[in-house]
Amino acid sequence: MASVSMERIKNKKPGDLLFDVVVYSVCIFIFFVVAYPLYFIVIASVSDPTFVATGKVIFFPKGFSFFGYEQIFQDSRVWIGYRNTLFYAIFGTFINLLFTLPAAYVLSRQEFRARRFLMFFFVFTMFFNGGLIPTYLLMKDLSLIDTPWVFIFNPLTVNVFNLIIARTFFESNIPNEMYEAATIDGCTHFSFFQKVVLPLSKAVISVIGLYYLVWHWNDFFTGLIYIRNYDLQPLQIVLRDILLSNQVFAEGAGSGGTGGGYAQRYADQVKYGIIIVSTLPILMLYPFIQKYFEKGVLIGSVKG
Amino acid sequence: MAFISGAKSAQDTKQLKKPTVVSTFKRDYQLWLMILPAIITVIIFNYIPMYGVQLAFREYDFTAGLTGGDFVGLKYFEQFINSHMFWDLIRNTLLISITTIVVGFPAPIILALLINQIRWKRGKKILQTTVYLPHFISIVVLVGLLNVLLSPNTGLLGLLIERMGFEGTNLLASIKAFVPVYVISDIWQHVGWNSIIYLAALASVDPQLYDAAKIDGANRWQIIRNVEIPAIIPTIIILLILNMGTVISTGFEKIFLMQNSLNLPISEVIETYVYKVGIISNQFSYAAAIGLFNTLINFSLLLIMNTIAKRVSRISLW
Amino acid sequence: MKKYVSLFLLITFLVVGLVACSNDDETSSEGNEETEDGKVVLTGLITKHPLTKDLEDMEWLQEIEDKAGVEIKWEEVTADWDQKKGAMLAGGDIPDIIVGPNAITDADFAKFTGLFEDLAPLIEEHGPNVQAMFDQQPKTKALATQDDGQIFGLPKYQRFWPETATMQFINQEWLDNLGLETPTNWDELFDVLMAFKEEDANGNGDANDEIPMDFAPIGTGGFGFFHPTVLLGSTGMTISGGGGQGYFLEDGEVKNFFVDERYKEMVVFMNRLYSNGLINEEAFTQDYTKYQSVARGEGENAKVGYTYGWERTDRFGLNVADQYVSFDPMAKSADYSGDISWSYDYDNLNFGLNLIQMSSQTENKEAAMKFINELYDPEVSLQVLFGSIGPNIEKADDGSYTILPPQDEEMDPGTWKWTSSWADNGPMFISDELEVELGEDMKAVGEQQQPFIDAFEGLDKENDVFPGMFIKYSDADNNQMSLTNTDMMNLTLSKFAEWITSGGIEDEWDSYVQEVEAIGLQNNLDIMQGYYDDYKSSME
Repeated sequence: MASVSMERIKNKKPGDLLFDVVVYSVCIFIFFVVAYPLYFIVIASVSDPTFVATGKVIFFPKGFSFFGYEQIFQDSRVWIGYRNTLFYAIFGTFINLLFTLPAAYVLSRQEFRARRFLMFFFVFTMFFNGGLIPTYLLMKDLSLIDTPWVFIFNPLTVNVFNLIIARTFFESNIPNEMYEAATIDGCTHFSFFQKVVLPLSKAVISVIGLYYLVWHWNDFFTGLIYIRNYDLQPLQIVLRDILLSNQVFAEGAGSGGTGGGYAQRYADQVKYGIIIVSTLPILMLYPFIQKYFEKGVLIGSVKG
Repeated sequence: MAFISGAKSAQDTKQLKKPTVVSTFKRDYQLWLMILPAIITVIIFNYIPMYGVQLAFREYDFTAGLTGGDFVGLKYFEQFINSHMFWDLIRNTLLISITTIVVGFPAPIILALLINQIRWKRGKKILQTTVYLPHFISIVVLVGLLNVLLSPNTGLLGLLIERMGFEGTNLLASIKAFVPVYVISDIWQHVGWNSIIYLAALASVDPQLYDAAKIDGANRWQIIRNVEIPAIIPTIIILLILNMGTVISTGFEKIFLMQNSLNLPISEVIETYVYKVGIISNQFSYAAAIGLFNTLINFSLLLIMNTIAKRVSRISLW
Repeated sequence: MKKYVSLFLLITFLVVGLVACSNDDETSSEGNEETEDGKVVLTGLITKHPLTKDLEDMEWLQEIEDKAGVEIKWEEVTADWDQKKGAMLAGGDIPDIIVGPNAITDADFAKFTGLFEDLAPLIEEHGPNVQAMFDQQPKTKALATQDDGQIFGLPKYQRFWPETATMQFINQEWLDNLGLETPTNWDELFDVLMAFKEEDANGNGDANDEIPMDFAPIGTGGFGFFHPTVLLGSTGMTISGGGGQGYFLEDGEVKNFFVDERYKEMVVFMNRLYSNGLINEEAFTQDYTKYQSVARGEGENAKVGYTYGWERTDRFGLNVADQYVSFDPMAKSADYSGDISWSYDYDNLNFGLNLIQMSSQTENKEAAMKFINELYDPEVSLQVLFGSIGPNIEKADDGSYTILPPQDEEMDPGTWKWTSSWADNGPMFISDELEVELGEDMKAVGEQQQPFIDAFEGLDKENDVFPGMFIKYSDADNNQMSLTNTDMMNLTLSKFAEWITSGGIEDEWDSYVQEVEAIGLQNNLDIMQGYYDDYKSSME
């Protein structure tokens, strides 16, 4: 809190000072409540799992080793998985936004007559779906099974939730007067969308872009159901397989000593390591997106 | 508040004359072009497979295909409603999901407002990134983490609770503790992630409004009440409507993994039950019927909420 | 702006195009493909253990593919098979060969009619090894054959596995430290566990770090291995597979222990243990990993007094395993003079259902059957189970085999087996004629089994062991029974846990029994009795 400098404190009303004290203490409390389990994951990923399971690891790592990470990274499939996921996530998110944003803009236009009907048309799909089997048959008929396309074109290509978020944002932040003013300058919907709406909507684009990206990043169901060729599998499937190969199952043990100490010992270390390996790239992305949430990034634009 | 002015102008045009989709088509063809890709993908990937819904009314017959089985009407719905477990399932499902909404829905709003008050930029960034992180923990690991931390003999939280004088309470074993543990861990995991949307809405508040409020001598609390909350109200209402549409759905995987024989009376919900009777033994028709039952309840709740919201605040999904 | 329009049009065309040309290239993947050297190309899927190495690294598999003149493109599934399977089967989209322990169930055969090939005629023509298995182990034929004589999935015979998977172990060193005898009935067990708790049994100076009794976490689908239900044996009841959903056979009558007075006695006893702090208070909530690591103790210090496991070293780790011994099943009381039994798992462990099946769409069924036949060659089967001759098995000049210890010294033999080969997940016929010297782990299991083998001596396997896996139910009966069982498990398992941890069984028992009956238990028992009687008469 170093930058809360003295002069600013002096200038404050006492009520506001109290307010700040409350806000900062609550925030610090939240920080520790959220951070400790995360910290625990980090120390558990480099500690001996026996100590972890028996509660000996609380504040510092114990029985330090990188075995978990070695297990993860010596598996060549991890790198293929990373590559695939990166491709699916980036290209997929691009397509998602390309389909969603213009549609959201259209649905935010009050003069668009089919608006209410189409909105219902989209929302309906959030609730009613044919289930897995007809979708599988459709994918089979479209020859999308076992191709990278299935990660990009699927029932969530236009995620209605994101569509609604974007539409709500456009509705409340792009006043109709702006469009009317623009049409006087000879602007069409295309150019208005491109030159005015998109630049003004960086915050919401980052949010739904992030939503889509993270969805692709975490999506393992698509790979599980529709992909048979292991070279196309995304990171999440690979990590799940590594995780399971180090997991011990009660059922397996009876049929002949699967409960062997070898696999057992490092199961947890791998488990915690995998969270870190799979989260780090998304974590690094966040600061870039965060800056669009700053107050005043839209200074002068809305009313300008 | 732009959304209201938007609604007004819609009303104005309504009064002039009643344009139809056809008569405005020429004017709006650009808009149609822009929305077309979305419509096409939704038709292909969402509407075409919907014929599968009829599986709920038919006997699944592999050789005859999805639409060829014998029509059995409401047999599977009756089977579900008459099932020994039906009322327990409904009660548990509602208890868990309503608690999640009531406690879990305001949490990210409060967090977003809090984060928005922080002026120390680095601190703000650190907090924001930290609270956003747990979202990426897979459910298997989250439940494992709960087991480790809550364990009465060895976990930090377990020990803490014991120190506080609740000797011999095993949070993982208790029927009473199941819902709180589920909901609190859910908030812990998703509050930061869910606050993103509100932060984005707050970022778009016109800075002039802040200045104007300060000139009027408003204190911080008044700024929150009169500037910031109104700015996120549309988002809040839309999300609340959508949330009500998930009342009868609970997180399947997490509940399934948290289940043990001691908390089973409270932790068996519709989705875990469907998994046990439907997926494992391939009873597609039964699973489809229960799925449709859920959908109908969820969708009606959404319709009700949407109507209320429209009356009260003029905000509506469509 | 024009750019935007054209981009949109492009995307739209792309989507429409995808739909339009969808059905065109479907035929290309089919067809009777052959490799350059004339081998038949087949597709295969295996649900293997996650530890198992890539199939292409298994020498024996390459050898028999060559021998059968096939080349199989394998899809290797290690997780979530249940979810994957539904869509695959309903889509009619299956590979030529599917391998895995009951990966496709009898219920699937009944539901997805026509999807799988009836192997019976093929076996007669191209399956001498399979035929030999049927002749030498008639039980395998019973396992394979559906009611109408068709054969869709082929079983396995594993020969060396013991009569029970769940052994009870007690810490002999603790008994010696405290001057106690091995318990022979429940009351003695109670006293011993009480002493473990009260005193410093492991002698580390802390009288409170001993966990007198522990058992494996109980799922929500029924009982399994390493669960305390084995104590039902003390009342003369013979369960299988650790108890499952409670069904057992007694004098030729199908019963369910969840409504049996003897089960009530056992729960009362368990409650007595729990309320005195003799059972690990986390027994119902810990996961399997924790269950295992707690028993491994700290260094030379053992933590657990009495528990269940597959084998000593596997259960307790190298440091403290020597302290434990397996011991005779106990009587329920000192004055009990009836039979004493245990969980009888011989069939579960040595036979398996539906290890391999063939798609009816397979182009070259003859070639596929030849491959399947190779798997059942006794020498190949041994390699399916333990790994290739060379790295995993040594073949002596006199034709006998020795299972070699792991090449990786850190690994135990069990893990090594699962890493090297299909192991228990593969189809196999380990002929009784083979001369095999087993690995250390299996030898150890054999030695520790003695107390249980003795207990099974007087067992009437015909009338007191329910032949669960040999019975084929119709699709309708199966659906009916599994619905009832799901509801019943929900009630019974939660009551089991509740009664043990907080008591109350005396007051609630009668209404509980009524409720279980209301769920439809009797109907299930009737169905099963009918099938059992048919099975029995077909065996005679």
